[in-house]
Amino acid sequence: MGPVEHLHMSVFSQSFSPCGRFLAAGNNYGEIAVFSLSSALSPDATDLSQTPILTFTAHEGPVFSLFSTDSHLLSAGNGEISAWSWAELIKRVSMFINAPLCRSSLEIPEINAMTVNPTENSLVIGGGDNNIHIMDLESGIFKSVLQGHTDYIHCLSVREREGEILSGGEDGAVRIWDHRTGQSVHCIEVYKYEECARPQYGKWISCLTTESDWMLCGGGPSLSLWHLRSMSPTSIFPLSGCQRQANFYQDMILSVGEGQCVSHCLLGGEVKAQIPCTPHSLNTLALNLNSTDNRVLTVGGSSHQIDVFTNLSYRTFSLSF
Amino acid sequence: MGAVTDDEVIRKRLLIDGDGAGDDRRINVLLKSFTKWCNSTGSPEEGFTQYQRMLGTLAQCEFSMGKTLLVYDMNLREMENYEKIYTDIEQNITSAHDKISECKKEIQRAKRIRKNRQEYDALAKVIQQHPDRHETLKQLEALDKELQQLSHIKENVEDKLELRKKQFHVLLSTIQELQQTLESKYDCCRCALLRQDGLWVCWTVWRSLYKGWV
Repeated sequence: MGPVEHLHMSVFSQSFSPCGRFLAAGNNYGEIAVFSLSSALSPDATDLSQTPILTFTAHEGPVFSLFSTDSHLLSAGNGEISAWSWAELIKRVSMFINAPLCRSSLEIPEINAMTVNPTENSLVIGGGDNNIHIMDLESGIFKSVLQGHTDYIHCLSVREREGEILSGGEDGAVRIWDHRTGQSVHCIEVYKYEECARPQYGKWISCLTTESDWMLCGGGPSLSLWHLRSMSPTSIFPLSGCQRQANFYQDMILSVGEGQCVSHCLLGGEVKAQIPCTPHSLNTLALNLNSTDNRVLTVGGSSHQIDVFTNLSYRTFSLSF
Repeated sequence: MGAVTDDEVIRKRLLIDGDGAGDDRRINVLLKSFTKWCNSTGSPEEGFTQYQRMLGTLAQCEFSMGKTLLVYDMNLREMENYEKIYTDIEQNITSAHDKISECKKEIQRAKRIRKNRQEYDALAKVIQQHPDRHETLKQLEALDKELQQLSHIKENVEDKLELRKKQFHVLLSTIQELQQTLESKYDCCRCALLRQDGLWVCWTVWRSLYKGWV
């Protein structure tokens, strides 16, 4: 991996291990790098501990989406999903890594988002063929297909309590699906609401996250907080640039996107802080809530460096591919 | 073996009185002067002065011993004091730790409360945009009343229409009957009488209709 490749590297996805001590990141060259957080955060960390403990090529195309279950790391690229065992990744058994535990191929161009529906133990995949596929994690069989979007899907989210799947796509619609019937229960076209719409950027929805009755969505239209019971936008966040990922954290909203910063916003609609980071444009944000020792926020984007925040107010150090 | 114990002895002596200008030397000098005084052959004044000098040295020795004892006591008490302070500080540290964890829990609670408040505010903003419920209810009531009144009027008009229809029906049927009887083959007087009757019937029906209409 020469310096030129490093310059052109983009980190598209991240995932923490179930124990919370390791971070896996996928880039646009199809590689996945596993970093040891516990050694990077320990008091006697050196420069070496900020490099990956293991790097391997997972897919031929970029790794757009990573997801961790209790024992496996699922990675998705251009139409194929691979499952890797975390235990083996941690032991750095790189020779066996070339053949993942299982690989499923779909006839879809790219898989942009993956999430797990824990009540049904199924994997929900959204991709470039405008449909959402639901796969059973135990057997690997594809259970159903949710059709309704008219353009490719960017992001997915699952509401466990209500048993709903939310998907946002390039066609600007956020659709809410009932996972049992496979029907679209609601369809919110965010760009049609005047207060959210930003026609200069387009109508696509690239980030979607939910928490109980609230939903955050953004992309072309401004990042907005919606109350799902009344299907109405309650707050619009005045962030310039298109947001690519947003998360609820305690009483705040963390959001990353175009722009060299992590934005902290309050639910009322104000931007509390914008913390600068190294990549010029950020693609992914991940919070390690699995472990109490390594509670960090990591962001990655159009750079070979992944910024780590131990205290949300400032960047502590960067991990490097 | 002898060298080791010598070293020990030397070390101990150096520890106790390392400078060599203190009590140890004074005691040696006192001993020497005492033996010298015991074996002295000089005059009684000299012996007396030497005796006084020795008493002085003895007093000095006693004084320095007393001082050392006091210092020792002081050190002991200082040690106790430090022990006490040490335990105090340890307790303070543990209580501070407890307070910190309490405060952390408080902060979590406060953050949740703040989040709830913000959610409430956000919803309230949306709700404010919609009109007040009381007003809408009042409007609904007014509309209901209007609706009732209008339906009442409609009923009245329909009833009148029905009545008129019936009355016209009666009139038309009597006219028809009269026509029929007039066209049938009867003689002229009866004809004239019947015509008169028929006309009278027509006239009464017309009058009642006219009255009713007005």
